[in-house]
Amino acid sequence: MLTLQFFLGVVFGTIIFLHLTKKNFGVALAYALQSLAITAILLGSFFETGNISLLFIALLVFIVKVILAPLFFIKLIQKHRLLFSVSTYLNIPLTLIIIAILSFVANSHKLAPLTGIIPANHTLLSLALSSMFLSLFLIINRKGALSQIMGILSFENSIVAFTIFAGLEQSPALQLGIIFNIFIWLIIATVFMSMIYKHFGSLDITSMKHLKD
Amino acid sequence: MLEIIASPISFFILLELFLIGAAGSLVLRKNDASANVWSSFFAIAGSLWGLLFASAILISGQALSFVAGTSPFPLLSLAMHIDMLSALFIFIISLIALFCSIYGIGYVKHFYKKYNIGTLGFFYHLFIAGMVLVVTASNGIFFLIAWEIMSVASYFLVVYDRNDENNVKAGFLYLVMTHVGTAFIIAAFLLLYKYTGSFDFEVIKSAVTFIPSSIKNTIFVLSMVGFGVKAGIIPFHIWLPAAHPAAPSHISALMSGVMIKTGVFMMMRLFLDILQPAPVWWGLVVLFVGATSSLLGVLYALTEHDIKRLLAYHSIENIGIILLGLGSALTFSSLGMLPLALLSLVAALFHTVNHAIFKSLLFLSAGSVINQMHTRNMEEYGGLIKYMPHTAFFFLIGSMAISALPPFNGFFSEWLTFQSLFQGIIALDSSARWVFILAAGALAFTGGLALTCFVKAFGATFLARPRSAEVSHAKESSFPLLAAMGALAALSLLFGLFSGPVTLFLETIGKSFSIFQSAPSLLSLPRGHVLTVGSGFASVSGLAFLVLFTVAIFIVVWIIRSAINKKQKIKIGATWDCGTDLTSRMEITATGFARSIVLIFKGVLKPSIQHEIEYHDAETRYMPKSRTVILGVRDVHQAYFYRPLHKVVATLAEQTKNIQSGNINTYISYIFIALLIVLFATL
Amino acid sequence: MIILIWTIQLILTPVVSPLCIGIIKKVKARLQNRRGASIFQPYKDLWKLLHKDEVISSNASWIFYYAPFIIFAVTIVVGASIPLFAAFLNNTLTGDMLVIVYALAIGAFFLALAGMDTGGAFGGFGSSREMTLSALAEGGLIFSLLTVALISGSTNLFAISSSGVFAQDQHFLSALLALCGFFIVLLAETGRFPYDNPDTHLELTMIHEAIILEYSGKRLALMEWASANKLLIFIALGVNLFFPLGLADNGGVDAILIGMAAFMVKIFICCLIIALIESSMAKFRFFRLPDLLLVSFILNVVALSLIQ
Repeated sequence: MLTLQFFLGVVFGTIIFLHLTKKNFGVALAYALQSLAITAILLGSFFETGNISLLFIALLVFIVKVILAPLFFIKLIQKHRLLFSVSTYLNIPLTLIIIAILSFVANSHKLAPLTGIIPANHTLLSLALSSMFLSLFLIINRKGALSQIMGILSFENSIVAFTIFAGLEQSPALQLGIIFNIFIWLIIATVFMSMIYKHFGSLDITSMKHLKD
Repeated sequence: MLEIIASPISFFILLELFLIGAAGSLVLRKNDASANVWSSFFAIAGSLWGLLFASAILISGQALSFVAGTSPFPLLSLAMHIDMLSALFIFIISLIALFCSIYGIGYVKHFYKKYNIGTLGFFYHLFIAGMVLVVTASNGIFFLIAWEIMSVASYFLVVYDRNDENNVKAGFLYLVMTHVGTAFIIAAFLLLYKYTGSFDFEVIKSAVTFIPSSIKNTIFVLSMVGFGVKAGIIPFHIWLPAAHPAAPSHISALMSGVMIKTGVFMMMRLFLDILQPAPVWWGLVVLFVGATSSLLGVLYALTEHDIKRLLAYHSIENIGIILLGLGSALTFSSLGMLPLALLSLVAALFHTVNHAIFKSLLFLSAGSVINQMHTRNMEEYGGLIKYMPHTAFFFLIGSMAISALPPFNGFFSEWLTFQSLFQGIIALDSSARWVFILAAGALAFTGGLALTCFVKAFGATFLARPRSAEVSHAKESSFPLLAAMGALAALSLLFGLFSGPVTLFLETIGKSFSIFQSAPSLLSLPRGHVLTVGSGFASVSGLAFLVLFTVAIFIVVWIIRSAINKKQKIKIGATWDCGTDLTSRMEITATGFARSIVLIFKGVLKPSIQHEIEYHDAETRYMPKSRTVILGVRDVHQAYFYRPLHKVVATLAEQTKNIQSGNINTYISYIFIALLIVLFATL
Repeated sequence: MIILIWTIQLILTPVVSPLCIGIIKKVKARLQNRRGASIFQPYKDLWKLLHKDEVISSNASWIFYYAPFIIFAVTIVVGASIPLFAAFLNNTLTGDMLVIVYALAIGAFFLALAGMDTGGAFGGFGSSREMTLSALAEGGLIFSLLTVALISGSTNLFAISSSGVFAQDQHFLSALLALCGFFIVLLAETGRFPYDNPDTHLELTMIHEAIILEYSGKRLALMEWASANKLLIFIALGVNLFFPLGLADNGGVDAILIGMAAFMVKIFICCLIIALIESSMAKFRFFRLPDLLLVSFILNVVALSLIQ
C-alpha cells in the first residue's frame, strides 16, 4: 500500500515537474520515470492478483513506455534541435496556484462518489484523479507541440493508474488497447510535428492561428 | 376478395411496385427510352394498384393496423395504421400519380439526351412511395423517416433541370425551408414523447390526457408551423413559388396537388384526432391563417407573369380554403357542435380532393405550353389557342374549376365551405362569430380575385395575337399529354356533377374520426342529386344546373340559328385598330391586366414603378430615344420577416465564431472545463 | 297550369328585360328635356341587329364565337331560378344564392375572355376593369344576400322571398343596411352609373361597352340582351328579396296575375330610381370605385353583425 502510494506519488511528482521544466530533454526523462512508476504499479498488481497476463503487460509497458517512447522523443528533439521547450501561457506562480486548486478539487467532497469507488483506495484514487486534471492542464498551458504530446501521454498514464486503483483494469484487453493507442499516438504525433514544422518553421502551435479565416 | 385487396400484403405490393420501379429505372439509366418505359409502366401499375387498394379499404370501412417488421431500434417501430382518412389520401395520391405518369410518358421525352432519365424515374418512384408511407405511418420516428424520404426525393426532382441556375437556387431554398419545418415537427413529437412516453400515434392518442394544456398549446404552435411550412401557409410559403416552377411539370403537378396536402393531412390527424379535446382558439387561429393565406395567395398570384409561379400561388390560396374548413371543424368540435364540425371537415376533405384534380390539370396544361414555348413568361405567349386547341380547352376547364364556377367540382367544395362558415355565423357568439364573418369575407373576395387571375392567365396565354415569334412554332401536345389532361378535366366535371354522392361518401370518412363517431349528419341527398344542408337551409344540384344550362344553350342556338338568322353572312376582318397597323403590343399584357387590382391593394402588395428615359441629346433633353418603365412588386415577406430573422441569426453566428480562436490550447481548455462541469453536475 | 307558370318563369326575363332598358332611357331623356325614343325601342334594336351581317376579327377564336351564346344561356338559367312573380315555385335545385352569384360569374368570365380574344386595346382594358370591379363586388353581393338569408333562415332565394325580411322588427336595421349594400352592388354588376356609362362608347368611360366593341350582328344582339337580362335579374332580386309584396304564393290565376302586375310595378319603380340616379350624378373616376364597393361590403358586415 505504501509502495503503491509512493509510486503514485512519483507519477504525480513527474507531472508537476513536467509543468515546471524548461528543457525538452528533461521532459522526455520525466516521462520515462513516470512510465517506470506505472510499470512498478502494474507489477505490484500482478503480485497481488497473480494474473499472469498482467506480468506480460507490465513487461510490454516497460518496453514501450519506458524505453521506446522516450528514445523516440529524444531522437525527435535531436532531429529538430529543440533543446528548450517553448513558453507557457501562464507564468510559474500562477501555474502553481492552478495546480494547487486542481489538486484540491480532485480531493474535494464533490468528487467523492468518483474517488470513493473503492473506499480503501480513496487517497490513491484522488491522487490519480488530480494527476489526470494536471495532465489536461499541461496540455492547455503549454505552447509547444512536444509538450502537448507529453501531456496526452501522461494523461494516459494517470488513467491507467486510476483504473488499477479503482479495480477496473483486470482485463488485459484494456492494457493492450492502451498500448495500441500509444502506437497510434506516436504516428500521429510525428506527422503532426513534421507538418507544423514544415509549414510554419517552428513547433509553436499558436502559429496555427494563421490558418483561421 | 375485398379482404384480400384490403390487406397488409396488398399494401406491401403497392410499395414494392414503386420500389421496383425505382430500382429498375436506376439500373436502366443508360438507355433513356427503356428507363422511361420502365418507370412509367411501374408508376401507372403502382397508381392503379393504389387506387384499387384505397377503394377496397374505403368500401369495406375497416381500418388496417399492422407492423411491417421488427426494427433494431427501440423507439422506432414500423407500425402502419391505414384508416379511412389515410385511404382517402392514398386514393388522391394514386389518382394524381396515375395521370401524371401518363403525362410523363410523353413529357419526359424532351429531357432525353440532356439529363439522366433513370435518375428521374428513381426519384419519382421514391417520392410517391414516400408520400404513401407518410400518410400511413403510425409511429412518430417512422413518420419522420418517410417525411424525409418524401422531402429529399422531391428536392432532387426540383433540381433535376440543373442547367438553369435559378432551379438550383430554388431547390436549395426548398431544402432549407422543408428542414426548418421538419425541425419544428421533431420538436412537437419530442414533446409528445416526453409526456406520453411513446412515439406511437395510437398510444399517444390514448394517453393524451397526461399532457398538460400549456404543453398541448406549444405542440399546436410547433406543429402548425412545421406542417404549415410543408402546406405553404403564409408566411412560410416562400419556397413554394420558387420550387414548384423549377420542377418538371408532372412533378410540379404532384407536388402542388398532393405533397402539400400531406401537411394538411397531418394537421387533420393531429388536431382533430390525436390532440382532442382542443381549446377554441386553435380553430380560430387555423381559420385566421386560412383566411390570410387564401387572400394573400390570390393577390400575389395576380402580380405574377410567370405561369407556373401564378399556379403555385393559387395552391397557397386553395390550401387557405382547405384550412378554412379545417379551422371551422376545430372550432365547432371544441364547442361541442359536432354536426357542424362534421360538415366543415367534409368541406375541407372535398376541397382537398378537388384541388388535387384541378391543380394537376392546370399544371399539366401549363407544362404542355411551356414545353412548346420554352419559356415560362406569359408575356411571350398569346394566340396559342389556334395552335394548341385541345390544351387550351383543358386549361379552360381547369380555370373554370379553380374559379369555382358551376357545374365543375371547385364550386361545390367552396359551396360547402361557405355553408360551414355561414352556419358558424349563425350559431356562434361574438368573438368567434367575427372571425367567421371575416373568414367568409375573405373567401368571398378570394373567389372573385381567383376568377380575375384566371381570366388573365387564360387570356394572356391563349387568346389574341401572338406576342412573340416562338408562338408560331408551337404544336399541339402529344397523345399521352392530352389523355392525361382530358381525363383530369373529365374528372373535374364528374366530381361536380356527382358532388352529392361524393359529399355523402366523404361524410362517412369524416365519421371515422373518433370524435365524430356518433355525430348526426346535416347533409342529405333527396332525389339523389340535390345536396342539402340542414333541413333545407341550403341546397344545390350540380346535375340540374348542367342540364338546365345545356338545354338553355341548345334552345338559344337553335332559335337564333334557324328561326331568326337564316340569310346572314359572317365576314372575317381585322380587329378595330384606329387606323394604324395592328401589332402585338396593342393587346393587353398579363401585367397590365392585373395592374388595376395591384394598385387597389397597394397597401398589401407594395407595388413600385420606375421610369427611365434616354434622350437623343442629353443636354437639351427634348426628344426621348427610349423610355423604360419598370413595374415591380416588393417582396414583403422577405423584407419584413425573413431578412431580419436572417440578420439576427447571422449576427449571432458571427459572435459565436469568436469561440473558434484557432488555438489548440483554448480548445483543450474548453474540453477540460466541460469535463469539470459534467463531473460537478452529475456527481 | 303549372306548366304555363313555369314557361312564363322561364321566358319572363328575356322578354321583359329590354323594356327595362327602354324605360330607363325614356326617363333619362325626359329629365334631359328631350322626348326620347319609345320604351319599346330596344326591342326594335334587337330585331334589327339579329338580322344584320356580322364582321368578326381574324384573331378571334371559338371563345369569341360562342361567348354570347354561353352568356345569354347563363342569364336565362339564372333568370329562371330566381323569384320573379311567384314565391311558391320551390326551386331547390338552382335557387341557392351562391349558385346565382357564381353562375353570373360564369357570364363575367366568358365576357372578359371575349373582350381579350380579339386582341384590341379597348377590349383588353375593358376586361381588366370589368374583372377588377366584379371581383370586388362579389364580396358585397354575397354578404348582402347572406344577411337576408340569415334573417330568413335559408339561403334558398324562394324561401327568402316567402318570408319578408322587413317584416321582423328586430332585423329592420340589418335589412335596411343590406338593401343599401345590395343596391351599390347592383349598380356595379349591371354597369350603371357611377361605375360605367352604358350610353357612350368612349374608352374613358366604358367597361362593358369596351368588351362588346368588336361584336356585331346577332352576337351583339345577344350580348346586349344578356346585359339587359342581368339588369333585370338584379332588379328582380332586389325587389323580390326585400319587398316581396304581391308575390304569388299559390298557383291560382288571380294570384299569378297580381304577382305579375306587382312585378311590373316594382320594376318600373326601380328603373325610375336608377334613371334618376344616372341623371343626377357623374361617373366616378375608376380608382374611386373600389372604395364604394368596400363601403358596400362594410355595410353588409355591419348588417350581419347586428343579427343576433
